[in-house]
Amino acid sequence: MALALNPVQIMKAEAEEERSETAHLVRSTLGPRGMDKILVAMGRNEGQIEVTNDGATILRNIGVDNPAAKILVDISKTQDDEVGDGTTSVVVLASELLREAEKLVSMRLHPQTIIAGYRKATDAAREALTAAAKDNSSDPQAFREDLMRIAKTTLSSKILAQHKDFFAQLAVDAVLRLKGSGNLDAIQVIKKTGGTLRDSFLDEGFILEKKIGVNQPKRIEKARILVANTPMDTDKIKVFGSKISVDSTAKVAELELAEKEKMKAKVQRILKHDINVFINRQLIYNYPEQLFADAGVMAIEHADFAGIERLALVTGGEIASTFDSPELVNLGTCDLIEECIIGEDRMIRFSGVKMGEACTVVLRGATTQILEEAERSLHDALCVLTQTVKETRVVYGGGCSETLMAKAVQEAASQVPGKEALAMESYAKALLMIPSIISDNAGYDSAQLLSELKAGHAQGHSTLGLDMEEGCVDCMVKVGITESFQVKRQVVISAAEAAEMILRVDDILKAAPRQRSHDQGHC
Amino acid sequence: MATKAVPAPKTRPSKSEFKDKEKPAQIRSSNIVAAKAVADAIKTSLGPRGMDKMIQDGKGEVTITNDGATILKQMKVLHPAAKMLVELSQAQDAEAGDGTTSVVILAGAMLETSQKLLTKGFHPAAISDSLLHFSAKAVEVLESMAIPVDLTDNASLLKSANTALNSKVVHEHSGMLAPMAVDAVLKIVDPNKDQNVDLKDIHIIKKLGETVEDSQLVDGIVFTQKSQGIGGPSKIEKAKIGLIQFCISPPKTDMDNTVLIRDYAAMDRVLREERQYILNITKKIKAAGCNVLLIQKSILRDAVSDLALHLLAKQKIMVVKDIEREDIEFVCKTLGCRPIASLDHFTPEALGTAELSEEFQAGDSKFVKITGVQNPGRTVSILLRGSNKQVLEEADRSLHDALCVIRCLVKKRFLIPGGGAPEAELSVKLTQYAHTMKGMDAYCFRAFAESLEVIPGILSENAGLSPISTVTELRNRHARGETHAGINVRKGSISNIIDENVLQPLLVSTSAITLAAECVRSILKIDDIVNVIR
Repeated sequence: MALALNPVQIMKAEAEEERSETAHLVRSTLGPRGMDKILVAMGRNEGQIEVTNDGATILRNIGVDNPAAKILVDISKTQDDEVGDGTTSVVVLASELLREAEKLVSMRLHPQTIIAGYRKATDAAREALTAAAKDNSSDPQAFREDLMRIAKTTLSSKILAQHKDFFAQLAVDAVLRLKGSGNLDAIQVIKKTGGTLRDSFLDEGFILEKKIGVNQPKRIEKARILVANTPMDTDKIKVFGSKISVDSTAKVAELELAEKEKMKAKVQRILKHDINVFINRQLIYNYPEQLFADAGVMAIEHADFAGIERLALVTGGEIASTFDSPELVNLGTCDLIEECIIGEDRMIRFSGVKMGEACTVVLRGATTQILEEAERSLHDALCVLTQTVKETRVVYGGGCSETLMAKAVQEAASQVPGKEALAMESYAKALLMIPSIISDNAGYDSAQLLSELKAGHAQGHSTLGLDMEEGCVDCMVKVGITESFQVKRQVVISAAEAAEMILRVDDILKAAPRQRSHDQGHC
Repeated sequence: MATKAVPAPKTRPSKSEFKDKEKPAQIRSSNIVAAKAVADAIKTSLGPRGMDKMIQDGKGEVTITNDGATILKQMKVLHPAAKMLVELSQAQDAEAGDGTTSVVILAGAMLETSQKLLTKGFHPAAISDSLLHFSAKAVEVLESMAIPVDLTDNASLLKSANTALNSKVVHEHSGMLAPMAVDAVLKIVDPNKDQNVDLKDIHIIKKLGETVEDSQLVDGIVFTQKSQGIGGPSKIEKAKIGLIQFCISPPKTDMDNTVLIRDYAAMDRVLREERQYILNITKKIKAAGCNVLLIQKSILRDAVSDLALHLLAKQKIMVVKDIEREDIEFVCKTLGCRPIASLDHFTPEALGTAELSEEFQAGDSKFVKITGVQNPGRTVSILLRGSNKQVLEEADRSLHDALCVIRCLVKKRFLIPGGGAPEAELSVKLTQYAHTMKGMDAYCFRAFAESLEVIPGILSENAGLSPISTVTELRNRHARGETHAGINVRKGSISNIIDENVLQPLLVSTSAITLAAECVRSILKIDDIVNVIR
């Protein structure tokens, strides 16, 4: 290809073609009746499969080589990090914007004019969205209702759709326990194959997948917990090559005894903290384990990093490594520690922990694919809910907000003289593609539904949207499809920004690459 | 590319939409075909007259089995959708332990029906919705036909264990394995309190030699290690058992140590001291009254040196070494002893007491068996024997299935008839129900209800009966209200299957239906396969 000769041509032929491919891949996952994809891993974990409906997950995993497509993948990632949901919408919207821009460019509109038009349109859309947003945070009952609806809307496009009432309840309960702190670390998700999705449950408190030491109490009430990261085999000298030279076996025996005494002293120091539960990140050897057992202390060894940090967080303790000053160490507390069986495994449950917001969601499902996807879906729902708890405004979903914004943009366009108006109209068209794709995916007649929707909005019924259960246009207040304002706004802004960024590019300069093997991804 | 689109901007979306429809349909049908192939592969092993598969793995090892989950695990399927079916059977294995073949066949049948519906133009989402509704309704019907069972009712438990074992290679031994499974589970549960059973409390020890007939349930514990030391006792009555986690060998520090020896006298002294050191330990052990010593395996040094073994044998202490750390808890629970991590803790209170500890010969290897434990915990050991490795492995899997069946009954104390009766009943009841519905749902419902007949069909086919006449007769009997009519494989006729003692836990059937439905729904929802690099 004649690279430098015709910059605009490059953008069209290369960049835009690829991003439409990227968007194509995810567009069929949009909406409540969207489909799933199987991701088949190549390379090291050859043959592992993942089933997903989550735009960000799909895009993160496909190998894209084209810079413009990478931008789209990036915005989907950003959306995932920022608000957790709407990852598919943002890519689809951005690609629709670009598709429209492509037409405008071929109509000899300068990219800068298009950008100016898009900016104005974005402002108009945002205003319309802000105006349509509702805030129910003053009324706890109504707010909870809002949260339930948002959770249901988010879940309705995922694998959990059939149990959305159940999981929405679960997610809302979990998030409300956080009391606005938005710290998702306090919500732990454990996945166990077997059972069905309906057997999942929310457990207050914390569950650790570890075993309690032999001969130690299996149940402790009013626990005082010391969380530690310290070697419980022997305190070794960390200088390389240090060794002991003696001249008789008796002396070796003495030294062995001394080492043992040292361990005993360490255990004594730990016990001075007045604890009845000791949790260590590293191994606890038999000898200290027995000493703990003798003292009636529950000792749990080998709790991994994530487990121990979360444990310290939820019990309100700190992770200790030295034990010389018991008064300075914050102990964790909890009301009850006991063993429980989930699936086929025994686990340790901490209930009534200090940080009241902590809770554990145990997911059950037929296959690991289902579980993984359920976890992603639940994570999305939790993210959106925490966002909503922070930014309490909500808008209506089901293509309602998009139609609303499109209408506002079109009205604004009619006020604008000049070519920018053309760009704004295109923007409106791009927005309307979202309801159209939603209904296409559900197998309904998109042209019919979209025109009904547009007509309804033009007549002033600003709450009309698509009801994909029934396949008709209906009032979103009645159907209860609500989305977070924050998510919607982020979708519009990120998509517009990404589109603008790609439009501004008139040439792709590739640095002479390192020699590497050909990218064999889908795109 | 772009310029082509410009002349007809309006039609482009619809055009691409049209193109889009092709690929998902292809992907879906490829998924369904692959998944169905998996179901077909294990179809013949369903039921009491089902056939076994001989599986040769990469290393040339041969497995002969009838267990769906095992066959599928070994099959190494490549297609992603087929993999989901393999996972499905494993989920059933984890949840119910039995019915791993049926669940895959059910899923295959449902997929076949879905494919027919898809070609009729149903949207996958609609099929998926009605499938969910279907499985919920099916569970309702199953529950309505369930018979409550009490854990004290040994006969019912035996019947269901028998049903699980009947289809296995080892079914001629079901008369012995079934009571063993029932006894084992009942031993470790408290029927009034427990809602679940931790099967890890049942240790199954496999040992080649003799026949399956010679397997036994050991009330106590069996160690696969032989007793150590030459000249030591091989049988001890009134055993005092100590479980130690320290080592009886020359001392060793955690840091590197060297013993410097400058002359001959020093060498002599070192040897003497070493002997003295070990003698001291053994004396203390004897002093505490211990006469059976179990020693935990150590990776850092010899858990017990030859010298120590000699000294212990002299003091008439039986030694079993190399107890894995993971097993310590089980051993403690069984023997009622406490693990002893240092010599100072070696006190009589930490010891467990048992009537008899003896070494016995089985085949070419020796075992140590401890029985008559004074304060036994809720654990049990089963010693499985078999004339060849394949039979032994299969006996283990079959016994596991039987244990799981009893566990299901502890979890959910209901039984339903087996022999294709529940599927036939479901098919009839749900078809009737479908007549009360309307719309697409009703159509799908009826199709799925029919698809359930595949199980009695395959059951009779495998038993060498004519599937069509058997299934139609079965349907007829159920339509006339004979809820418990099932295929009597032994007699080759339809009869009240409860009289034939073919019973299975409710949980196996309900979980098979719900898991299969869930899996089929997720396969239906897939419209693309993407290769991922990484």
